Amino acid sequence: MKKSVLDYGLRVRLPITIMVILISYAITFYVSRSERDGVGYKPDQPINFSHKLHAGEMGIDCQYCHVGVEKSRHAVVPQASTCMNCHTMAKTDSPEIKKLTNYYESGEAIPWKRVHQVPEYAYFNHSAHVNAGIDCASCHGDIASMEKVEQVHAFNMANCLSCHRAPHEKMPYLADEIKKGPEDCSACHR
Amino acid sequence: MNNSVDKNKNQIDLPVVKSDSKPSVWRSLDEYDNTNSDNQLKVKANEFADGAENFDISSKSKFSRRKFMALMSASSAMAMAACTDYRDKGEIVPYIDKPEEVIPGIPNFYASTLISDGSGQGVLVKTREGRPILIEGNPQHPISKGKLDSNGIARLLDMYDPNRLQNPRKLQESKLVDTDWGTVDKEIIQSLNSASSSGKEIALFTGKIISPTFAKLIEDFKAKYPTTKVYSHELFNDNNKQEAWNKSTGGTTYPLIHLDKASIILSIDSDFLGTDGNVNENIRQFVVNRDFENPANFSRFYQVEGSYTLTGSNADYRLRLTPENYLDVIASLVNHFAAKQGKQTMSGFKSLEALAKENHWKHEAVSKLINDLESNRGKAIVIGGKQLSVDHHIAINYLNELIGANELYNKSESDYNVISLSNDKEISSLASRMKSGNVGVLINIDKNPTYHLPKLFSKENLSKVKTVVSLNEFENETTNNSNYVLGINHDIESWGDAKIRTGVISTQQPVIAPLYNTRQKEAILLNWINNVENYSEDVYHKYLQSNWETNIYPSLNRSVPFKEFWFATLHDGVTTFNETSIVPTEFDVSTVNSIKPTKKSNYSVILQENYFIRDGRYAGNGFLQESAHPITKVTWDNCAMVSPATSKELGVEIGDMLEVTLNGVAIELPTLIQPGMAEKVIAVDLGYGRTNSSPIGNGVGFDVTPFMSEKGISNWIYTGASVKSTGNKYELVSTQEHHALDDEFLRTQVRKDEKGNVIGGDETFARARGIIQESTVEGYLKNPRILKEHTHKVFSITKDFEYNNMKWAMSIDMNKCIGCNACSIACYVENNIPVVGKEEVGYGREMGWMRIDRYFAGTPDDPIMSNQPMLCQHCDNAPCENVCPVVATTHSQDGLNQMVYNRCVGTRYCANNCPYKVRRFNFYDFRDNLANGYYKTESTKIMMNPEVTIRARGVMEKCTFCVQRISEAKQKAKEEGRALKGSDVTTACQDACPANAIEFGNANDKDSRLAMMRDHNLGYHVLDYLNVKPNVTYLAKLRNSDSLGVKSEHH
Repeated sequence: MKKSVLDYGLRVRLPITIMVILISYAITFYVSRSERDGVGYKPDQPINFSHKLHAGEMGIDCQYCHVGVEKSRHAVVPQASTCMNCHTMAKTDSPEIKKLTNYYESGEAIPWKRVHQVPEYAYFNHSAHVNAGIDCASCHGDIASMEKVEQVHAFNMANCLSCHRAPHEKMPYLADEIKKGPEDCSACHR
Repeated sequence: MNNSVDKNKNQIDLPVVKSDSKPSVWRSLDEYDNTNSDNQLKVKANEFADGAENFDISSKSKFSRRKFMALMSASSAMAMAACTDYRDKGEIVPYIDKPEEVIPGIPNFYASTLISDGSGQGVLVKTREGRPILIEGNPQHPISKGKLDSNGIARLLDMYDPNRLQNPRKLQESKLVDTDWGTVDKEIIQSLNSASSSGKEIALFTGKIISPTFAKLIEDFKAKYPTTKVYSHELFNDNNKQEAWNKSTGGTTYPLIHLDKASIILSIDSDFLGTDGNVNENIRQFVVNRDFENPANFSRFYQVEGSYTLTGSNADYRLRLTPENYLDVIASLVNHFAAKQGKQTMSGFKSLEALAKENHWKHEAVSKLINDLESNRGKAIVIGGKQLSVDHHIAINYLNELIGANELYNKSESDYNVISLSNDKEISSLASRMKSGNVGVLINIDKNPTYHLPKLFSKENLSKVKTVVSLNEFENETTNNSNYVLGINHDIESWGDAKIRTGVISTQQPVIAPLYNTRQKEAILLNWINNVENYSEDVYHKYLQSNWETNIYPSLNRSVPFKEFWFATLHDGVTTFNETSIVPTEFDVSTVNSIKPTKKSNYSVILQENYFIRDGRYAGNGFLQESAHPITKVTWDNCAMVSPATSKELGVEIGDMLEVTLNGVAIELPTLIQPGMAEKVIAVDLGYGRTNSSPIGNGVGFDVTPFMSEKGISNWIYTGASVKSTGNKYELVSTQEHHALDDEFLRTQVRKDEKGNVIGGDETFARARGIIQESTVEGYLKNPRILKEHTHKVFSITKDFEYNNMKWAMSIDMNKCIGCNACSIACYVENNIPVVGKEEVGYGREMGWMRIDRYFAGTPDDPIMSNQPMLCQHCDNAPCENVCPVVATTHSQDGLNQMVYNRCVGTRYCANNCPYKVRRFNFYDFRDNLANGYYKTESTKIMMNPEVTIRARGVMEKCTFCVQRISEAKQKAKEEGRALKGSDVTTACQDACPANAIEFGNANDKDSRLAMMRDHNLGYHVLDYLNVKPNVTYLAKLRNSDSLGVKSEHH
């Protein structure tokens, strides 16, 4: 029986096309996983602030700037006046500090790019975690060694739950003190 | 019987065991009569209302599915073209210089006072990052005691309302155009000067003035412009009561009553739990003697009324009566006691016995009333409604004198009037001077005289005044007739002070800078006095402070320096001091001589204050418009309430238009048949029918202010009306049968003896199913387990989950709940609940998480009413959870029925399976849908509580037990390193409840009040035999009467 063009299309071309689409979708899905989760996100900031210098080399405590972290849901990005506590004196001639001074004096807010974000339907609470003794680095990575802040862990529900379910494995430094985190929906979603 | 589906009606016929006898508890007349008539208030026994299937997408959203697809593909194409690796997460914009007290994520509370409505309620304003998100009562305020009425709670919305006046306006070529403050100040000062130099009157038309500093400001204004006169007017006022007290005793203010010490209360048409007097205080005191833990000292409350009021619904004996006969009741009681004491009697009045017969009162009511008043000398009080006439009040004062009620008068403190309200004569003389051109400038300060007094302040009359200035928050009927319209600040953008009680002054402070180009009303007047070019924002702040420093502070004899005192007072929001008030003097008996019986004639009309929109001031507030009237359950309308018998006489059904003619004024009103109304009485709410309010308030309801004249018994009660049906129809929308617990489907089987005689059964399951359980005080005292006798043991075939730590639960004391609705409005504000509008309420789509169910029992002519706040019961075996195909609703280990919005796909199976009908579905994005996205503007967006998700369209929602507050308490406990206690959390409804009827906490804490209420003999769960194990316990209402008047009483 003579094969028609239609036959050829249906038996050979169509399955191949579908396979190619599926495989490329699967590969893209797998490869882009970290990008979709935001892992490795490292945006340019309006002021080239170095956590490596401030938190690492100079050893300034995280909470000197992120004052909300023990009391509030939000860790709080510091107000410009906190920076100016030192930088009215320190390194006033550096171009980056000049930018800062400019923002401060003009009263214009500094539009820091957001690096870490949980979805808006999840109510993450910094104080609950920090007061339980969890180290900032457990979620944010070793910020003290970062010149420019970068996301190192995925901020998704699977990642949250992996710690909530097995805190001792994930945070061996808290072996004795920490209890399992809540797994109720309303712990995060309301 | 088969279940059949009628495709045309899209409605399933469920098996109903019909019976001819009348049900014992019913929600509407249709249910009582067991008819299936298609009147509009009747929602099918099906879950959804008629027309709920109407779902016209194109009419609602400008965003069609096709458009959405197009936009989606366009945007993904764009994203691919841009080739960004990472999703942009936006920016974090910190403060430049953060205010010290603000920590993002933590609320701040500021004490202030609501002054503009004349209530002077002390409030706490909760702010987040500087945005007010909730107004609640100030616990330190000695009168408010942490509670706030529903209007006060809803006032928050007014501040963010995009329809506020945002700039000063000026009349140019018969149009109001925006201008700047400099111009209007200059021009108005010119007009003021020319009026005052030419000897023409400058009239200040204000509401009730409760601010001592504003009163001083007015004096300063008078000094600067000597021809100034002040008129203060309220549509609803207690002038008659005040005048009667003055005539009776010579006292200036009538005394406050210790309601908490009263054993017997007789109210003559006073809605003291709803609109009359300081309502929150009244409720608080009233419920003191309705304590289920102290049943032996239960008070007994009689209400005589023509309409059906919230207060009347809480009466043990409600004696319905036309207003014409009120005087007869008072006089015959006076005669009874006066004759015994050998004092002067009143003649020409009907006897109580005759009235009881005419009006079919319960047979024991009259003898009980007289007996109670006699045997409780010094503990009984008669309260007269503020809308009654001077004669009524004089007679009531006399009766109180006779029964020794003056022992209940508060002799240490009294209400305080900074400036007394003007009487009707003064107001009408202003109008006649306006007409004759003797008024140069009329300044309308936060009032609406054209709407409230349409005859006196008509467009024509106002046009005879050269300059009419309106200082208002919103446009209204009067601003239309003004030359200048100046936007003023909201209460929480203003400075001020208030004194409504002797010995108490509260302060008002702004918690946010004015959102728009507005000024506070005091500052505007002050600027006209000072006449300065450069206005500064804090001009009234300074004036207020200096007035306190020079006039108020020295008289208080405080040891701290003024600055410290001032800041402490601002912090607390109130200061108290010793102030002696005038003790009432002897009663002058001669004043009762002239009182004559009211003439009987035709229909009576009662014009009443609406519980939510009040005198029309709040017509633009969606929260208040959507709140169902506590009695009629009608929303977004007022209506003519008539009794079932009167409606038959007139031949009208619900929704038929009635033409009511009173003193030559005819107004068409829609009928609402209200069981329990007195015969031949028509009761209508004032405050509706606004024509220039906002998209929310315009054209809602019917304006009946034209009825008001001096020809009535008082300004609010009229006789001699003629009424006829016009044959027109109108659609009234009511929540009456929405979300009905399906008690109509099932009836208990008729039980018969061998001879075939009916011996029992055959009643709706409402009582048998334990939805409403009540008892009499006497019955409960005799047998404390009276309600537990008929309970059946239910068992589960699966193992129950054990709650070892916390278990959140609520209990509601029905003896205290009076049905005021403050809880449900607080819930709207706290939980970002959208307002849906009249049309959607008609389909049964209102979104409130907490509703007040209302049940009637007895006969339609004289029923008793029961309220029941209904919210998610957080059942242990929640039926909604089993049916969710995507596990969007689950149970937490601390007993919460959780709802996860981002998982929900909107199947609505859960709502279908909920026996309590407390789940709400977002059929639309209602915020976008209502009045052209009215509640989705920039300003209303920032009103939202940031701790609660704003639900999207297509998502189910319901009460969460304020899970955001539970989380907050958990976090706080963790911070402080202690265990969480049940009492750490209060829900929004609990905070709002003026009667403290709601208790919330940990059911596992056996020492808590909550646990005591759960285990109490009067505690019951609604539909408990379903074994869904609800966690809201209701404490059965005890009625202090001989019988409940319901068939299926427990014996």
